[in-house]
Amino acid sequence: MTQLVLHNYDLDDACYRVRLVASCCDLSVELRNVDMFPGMEQVSPPYLTLNPLGRLPILETAEATLRQTGAILLYLAGLDPQKRLLPTDTSELAQMTDWLFFAEHDLSVATTARAISIMDVPGDGPATLAQTRALLRIMEDHMSAQDVKGLGFFAGAEITLADLALFPAFALSRDCNIDHDAFPALRLWARRVRATPGFIVMPGIPDYH
Amino acid sequence: MSETGWVPIALSRCIAPGTSAGTAVHGAEIVVWRDTGGKAHAWEDRCPHRGMKMSFGFVRGDHIACLYHGWEYDETGTCRYIPAHPDLEVPPSICVTRYAVAEAGGMIWTALPLGEMPEVGPNAPEMDGLRSLYIDAPLDAVLAGLHTLALQVTQTGSLITATLGETRPTLGLHSIDADHSALHITLPSDTPTAIRLSLLDQLATLRRDVEAPLKETAQ
Ligand code: FES
Repeated sequence: MTQLVLHNYDLDDACYRVRLVASCCDLSVELRNVDMFPGMEQVSPPYLTLNPLGRLPILETAEATLRQTGAILLYLAGLDPQKRLLPTDTSELAQMTDWLFFAEHDLSVATTARAISIMDVPGDGPATLAQTRALLRIMEDHMSAQDVKGLGFFAGAEITLADLALFPAFALSRDCNIDHDAFPALRLWARRVRATPGFIVMPGIPDYH
Repeated sequence: MSETGWVPIALSRCIAPGTSAGTAVHGAEIVVWRDTGGKAHAWEDRCPHRGMKMSFGFVRGDHIACLYHGWEYDETGTCRYIPAHPDLEVPPSICVTRYAVAEAGGMIWTALPLGEMPEVGPNAPEMDGLRSLYIDAPLDAVLAGLHTLALQVTQTGSLITATLGETRPTLGLHSIDADHSALHITLPSDTPTAIRLSLLDQLATLRRDVEAPLKETAQ
């Protein structure tokens, strides 16, 4: 298989999503570590050539340069010969995509809230925190309903890309003082995600084992 | 707070064996955890070492370990192991404060005032846990909302039974602090899935109705 190169920063949760999906799909990815903080290397001239958006992650493949996290995740899940993170059922695939967009689009505020809280990035801390809590609550309500239906994951009975894309925002929420007390359904779900073969952690997400 | 007796603090099914979670009762922080043998525990949520929340820690067999420096406590709350000094015979005086704990009606309970160990357990009918609903409002406001939404509301201690649509759930009332509460929702085990789902929707509506006026005044 062609070599995949991930331009990576270990403390960035989007880069973690990519490493996590690659690991759960048993794919080897070469990491190029970028000094995002405090070096801001992702906006240095060579990196702006690679990604004019000035952010990470960036995945270089033999054919293309991918710079949207969701697209990178979909590509990796598709490369997996077993396609274990992609449902075959059309409706489940649609639900997976729905939550994938939620993770990449709506939940980006959680990344902002965390950056404000731990890296002193300027922004409206209280407002982003309140939005993050409201989004986690939407996830909690959904998983409460999934529980009633006997489904353990966001898009159905099996883990999909959606679960791995959503996991970091919940697991890292304590970095911005949103504890897990009020999210029992998400706690049970996170435990199932952690039990997935290939599961890995990042700094800030404790490894209990 | 002068409330006494048993209060529900979690649904039994939400605390899986080998896991822990934090909560509070009238502002007093509690860690609820279940050892791998299945026994539930309710302790003060504070590590005697440096005060880290025990609920951030992790369960190992019948011990719970603190996330910060890994001190491990046995089921009596006594510290048994300090990773930085693996050969040390830990002095038995290092203890986490334990509270009363019981399981009944699909819920885990503790007793007030905290530290009191009642001889008789809580009385609750056999039920299935549906979900715990956390509401950013005082318990009084939640109760008022429930009386508006539900029919035939009857309360005994910390339990309310009410008719909501086609079902009659039993709700455990839990005052977390002056501004936050939880309802631990249980149902008879033969309740069909469709009715369970419609109950979830009604309770989400209750939460929205109860929180809305408080959000307006906060703005
Ligand atoms: S604070 Fe708990 S072990 Fe140090």
